[in-house]
Amino acid sequence: MNINKSNPLLLHPLNKWMKKKKWSWFPHQIETFHHVRTGSDVVVFAPTGAGKTLTGFINPIDDLIKLKKFKGLHTLYISPLKSLANDIVRNLEKPIKELDLNISFQVRTGDTTPYKKQKQKQKPPNILITTPESLALLNSYENAKEFFFNLKYIIIDEIHTFLDNKRADLLSLNIERLQTFSPNLQRIGLSATLKNKQDAKKWLCRKKPKIVSYENSVLPKIKILESKERIPWSGHMATYSINEIYKEIIKSKLTIIFVNTRAQAEYMFKNLWLINKKKLKIAVHHGSLEKNLRLKVENNLSKGLVDCVVATSSLELGLDYGDVEKIIQVGAPKGINRLLQRVGRSNHNLNTPSKAILVPTNRFEFIEAKAAIEEIKKNNLDKIDLKEGSFDVVAQHIFATACAGQFDINDLYKEIIKAYPYKKLKLNDFKQLINLIQDGGYVLKNYDQFKRIFQLRENKNIYKLVNRRETRKYRMNVGTIIENPMLKIKLGTKTLGNIEEVFIQNLSQGDSFIFAGQVLEFQSMKNNLVQVKRSKSLVSKIPSYSGGRMPLSTNLANSVRALLAKSNMWDSYPEQITEWLKRQKNISKIPKKDEYLVEQFPRKKIFYTVIYTFAGWHANQTLGFLLLRGFKEFNYKPLGFVANDYAIVLWSLKEVKEIKTILNLGLLDKHLDNYLEETSIVKRLFRDNAIISCLIERRLPGMEKTGKQVLFSSDLIYTVLKKNEPDHILLKSSYEDAKKNMIDYDRLREILKKIDKKIILKKLTSISPLAVPIILEINRENLSKKETDEYILEDLENEILKEANVLSIN
Amino acid sequence: MYYQLINFGNEEFHAYPNKSLYWKRLNTLIVSDLHIGKSISYAKNKQFLPPYDTKEILNKIFVSLDKIKPSNLIIVGDLLHDVFSTLSIKDQDYKNLSQYMKNTDFIWIKGNHDKNIRMEGFKNFTNYKIEKFLFTHIPVETSLFQICGHYHPKVKIVHRGKTIFKTSFVHNEKIFILPSFGILTGGLDINSKEISDVLGKKNLNIYPVGQDKVYKL
Repeated sequence: MNINKSNPLLLHPLNKWMKKKKWSWFPHQIETFHHVRTGSDVVVFAPTGAGKTLTGFINPIDDLIKLKKFKGLHTLYISPLKSLANDIVRNLEKPIKELDLNISFQVRTGDTTPYKKQKQKQKPPNILITTPESLALLNSYENAKEFFFNLKYIIIDEIHTFLDNKRADLLSLNIERLQTFSPNLQRIGLSATLKNKQDAKKWLCRKKPKIVSYENSVLPKIKILESKERIPWSGHMATYSINEIYKEIIKSKLTIIFVNTRAQAEYMFKNLWLINKKKLKIAVHHGSLEKNLRLKVENNLSKGLVDCVVATSSLELGLDYGDVEKIIQVGAPKGINRLLQRVGRSNHNLNTPSKAILVPTNRFEFIEAKAAIEEIKKNNLDKIDLKEGSFDVVAQHIFATACAGQFDINDLYKEIIKAYPYKKLKLNDFKQLINLIQDGGYVLKNYDQFKRIFQLRENKNIYKLVNRRETRKYRMNVGTIIENPMLKIKLGTKTLGNIEEVFIQNLSQGDSFIFAGQVLEFQSMKNNLVQVKRSKSLVSKIPSYSGGRMPLSTNLANSVRALLAKSNMWDSYPEQITEWLKRQKNISKIPKKDEYLVEQFPRKKIFYTVIYTFAGWHANQTLGFLLLRGFKEFNYKPLGFVANDYAIVLWSLKEVKEIKTILNLGLLDKHLDNYLEETSIVKRLFRDNAIISCLIERRLPGMEKTGKQVLFSSDLIYTVLKKNEPDHILLKSSYEDAKKNMIDYDRLREILKKIDKKIILKKLTSISPLAVPIILEINRENLSKKETDEYILEDLENEILKEANVLSIN
Repeated sequence: MYYQLINFGNEEFHAYPNKSLYWKRLNTLIVSDLHIGKSISYAKNKQFLPPYDTKEILNKIFVSLDKIKPSNLIIVGDLLHDVFSTLSIKDQDYKNLSQYMKNTDFIWIKGNHDKNIRMEGFKNFTNYKIEKFLFTHIPVETSLFQICGHYHPKVKIVHRGKTIFKTSFVHNEKIFILPSFGILTGGLDINSKEISDVLGKKNLNIYPVGQDKVYKL
C-alpha cells in the first residue's frame, strides 16, 4: 500500500488527541483505516504496544462522528477475557472523554449486573465491549435482530486465541448470525503476530479480505537464568533456583513470574515467601482464585503496588500493565507463540526491548529454553492449525436459535456453513444435531410427546420452541468452557476460590494444603463448600489441576532436536549440561535432527525401551499406550510406560526384539480404537459434549447439582448409549474431539508414517544419560503419595545416577 | 454367575454382581430401586437421556429369572420411577412379564416413587414379612431384621492415592440395604448423613459390586 500520499488519519477526530499526546500514527493504523473505509474485512497483526486496540476503533469512531448522533448499536468489540474487556473500556474512555466525543460505550460480560444488562437491551450504547459467551446470549434473545440490525463493525481482539478451539467455533457461528442480521457488517480482527496469517484471514474475513501486518524490529532480550546450583534431572518445581529468582525480583521494579500450572504457581509463591527477607510485595494469580482476589491483584499490578506476581496463563493476554519490567518464565516454554505472548507482558513500549529470563526446571528444559531463544531471534513462530468445528457447539447454537424464535432449518444450515470451521459440515450431521436438540436424537423414538422443539405442521422446515421456559435452560448452559467439578473453599465466611473436587476427596480432616498462597487446614465439606482454617503446618499438599497441560509445539520440538544435534554449541552450555550430552554421545548416541533414537537396556531384571520422539506429551502418551498393546501382541510382557514431551519409556519382563516391526503406522491403525475405548478419554470428552450440546444441564436454580453428579450421570449416559446406539451423533462428536485435541492424532500419524526408516537402535548394557530424566519420572509416578518424600526421592535419584555412571558430573 | 455369600440375621444370602440378592433356602430373589422409566420421566423436563434403560433393566431381570427360577421375586420399592414410566414398557415386555408370573410370585413393595401405581400381575405391599425378616423400602421401627432399598448405597474407596466410588450392598446387624438395580440411577455415599442415620457408622459390612464379582471390604 502506498502511504506516501497524505495521511488520511490527519483529518481523523482522534488526531487532535494523538497530537496532544505527542504520538504519531503507525503505518498499520493508516493502512487498516484505508482498507476498512474501502469496504474490506481486515486482520491486523501487530505486536503489543503498537496501538492495537486503537487500530480497531479508528474506523468506528470516524464513522460515528460522521453519522452524528447515531442511535443504537454501531460497533461490537469481542474480547477473549472479561478482565481484558474492562481494560479496553478504560483505554477507550481516555480519548473519548478528553475530546468530549458524543459516543457511548459500555461493557457487557458475565459480571455485568442484570439491571445494567436490561438497560443495555432497551438503550444500547454505540460501542459494546463483550465476550463470545455474552454475544451468544444476546443472539438468543427474541429481539436480537432489532438489537443488531444496524451493526456496522465487529472487532475481534486477540483473534489468535480464537482459531483452534470450541470457543472459536461458537464465536464463528455468532459472527455469521450478526452478518445475517446486518449484511453490511464489516469484520476487523486484531492479532499478535502469527506464522500462518492467511489462515486467520480465511477464518474471519469475507469481504475483500486483507491482511495488515506490522513487525516489531526490536527483538526481546531473553536469557536463561544463570545458576550456581545444578539443574535437576527431572521435576518441574525450580526449587534449586529460588534464591536466584528472588535476586532477579529485587533487581527489577515489577516482575511477573509465569509458570505452567496452578500447582506450580502455588508452590513458587510459597517458596518465595519463605525467603522473602526484604518483605517484597509478592502476589499470586491463577484461574481458580475468587474473582475479587484476582481483581485485587490485577489492580495492584496496574498501579504498580506490588513487586512481583506469580501467574499462570491467567495473566497472559492483552492487559496493559505498563510498569512490568521483567518476565521470568519458570519451566518449559512449550511453544514460541506462547513464550512471546508472555514476554510481551513487559515493557509495553515498542522501542525498548522486552526483558525476560527463562528458568529451566530440568535438563531437557534447558535445551528447550535455548532452542526457544534461537527461534525467537529468527522470528520463527508456531503455526496455529485451524480445526474443523465441533458438533456439540452447533447443537448449542441450534438451541440458541430456537430461543430467539422460530427458524427455517435450511436457512440455518446455509448460515452455519458460511462459518469457516463448519464449511464441511454435512447436511446429514446437521439434521442429526437438530434431532439432538429436539428430543435427544435417539433411534428409539420414545419421546414424541416431550419434544423441546417441534416442526410446524404447515411447513416441516420450520422449527419452534415448545415452551419458552426452555430459554432459561439454554442460558444456564451457554458457553464451551467446561471446568472440572469444583468446590468452593471457605475460610470462615470468606470465599477463597474453587478447588477441584478430586483433590478434596483425597484429603482427610486435618490435612493441610496450599491455596491462594496460604497454608490451609481441611476441616469439613458440607453442601459443596469446603470449610478450611489457617494452618501453621510446614508439610502441605499442593492442589493439582488437571487442565492446562500443554504439549510441546511441533515447531519448537524440531528446533530442540536440531539444537541437540549441534555439538559445536555444547561448550557454551553450563558444564553439567555439556558433560551430560558428551557422555550421552560416548555411551549411546545423540540423534540427528530427523532421526528417532531408540535405546534399550536391562535394569534390575526389567527390560527398558526408551524412544525419543519429541512429539509432545499428548502424542507420546498415545504412542505409549499403543506400544504397550504392540508389545503384548509380541508377548514381551510389558509392565507399563511413562511419557513426557520428549520421550516415552516402556518397561517389560522380556527383551523387546522387534521394535522396528512394531513401531510404524500400522500400530496406530490397529490399536487406536482400543485405546480410546480403554482409557476414559472419550468418556471424559463425552461429558463436555453432553453439557455443551445441552443434552444434560450444568445446573438449574433450585436443583443445584454437584459437579460429581453431573460427571456421574454423563458416564451412565455414555455407557448406555455406547451399548445401544454406538452411532449416535454425540459419540461421534466425542470421538472426533479426542482425535483433534487429546491424542494429537495428526501429529502422531505424521511421525509414524516415516519413523521406520529413521529409527536408530542402540542396545546398551545400562541406562544412558539422556534416559535418566524419564526413568526418574517412572518412579515418581509410581510411588504412592506418602513415599514421595524428598528424602526417598533423592536416595532414588542417587542410585540411578550411580548406575548411569554420571554422578561424578556434579 | 459368581456370588458373594453374605450372612445376615443368621441366614445365608447370595449377592450377585447384577445387584440382586438371592435367599436360597426360600428360593427368593430380591431386587430394589429399578427406577424403570427414569429416562422418560426426565424427558418430561426436556432432559433426553438414552431411552434404553427400561429395556435393559427388564432384560436383566428376565436373565436372572431364567437362571434362578425363583418362586418369589421381591422388589423392595421404586420399581417404577413415576406414573409416566409405564409408557416406556413395550407390549412384548408386558407379555414376557406375564409369562414369568406363571412360575414366580411378583411381590412389589411400594417405594416413594411408585406408591400409587398399579400394574397387572404384581402383588402390592407397603411391607412384607417372612419369618423374622421384614421387607420394606425405607427402614421402620421394628425388632425384625429388615431388608430395604431406597438409598442406592455406594462406597468411597481410597487406595494408592486414587479415589473410586462403587455401588455396594451394605448391612449392619439389623438392617440390610440393597444397591439400585437400575441403569441410569446414581448413588449415595455410605458415609452420607442420610445413610449413617439409618445404619450408623460402625460395624458395617460393605460389599462393593465389581464388573463380574461382588467384593467384601
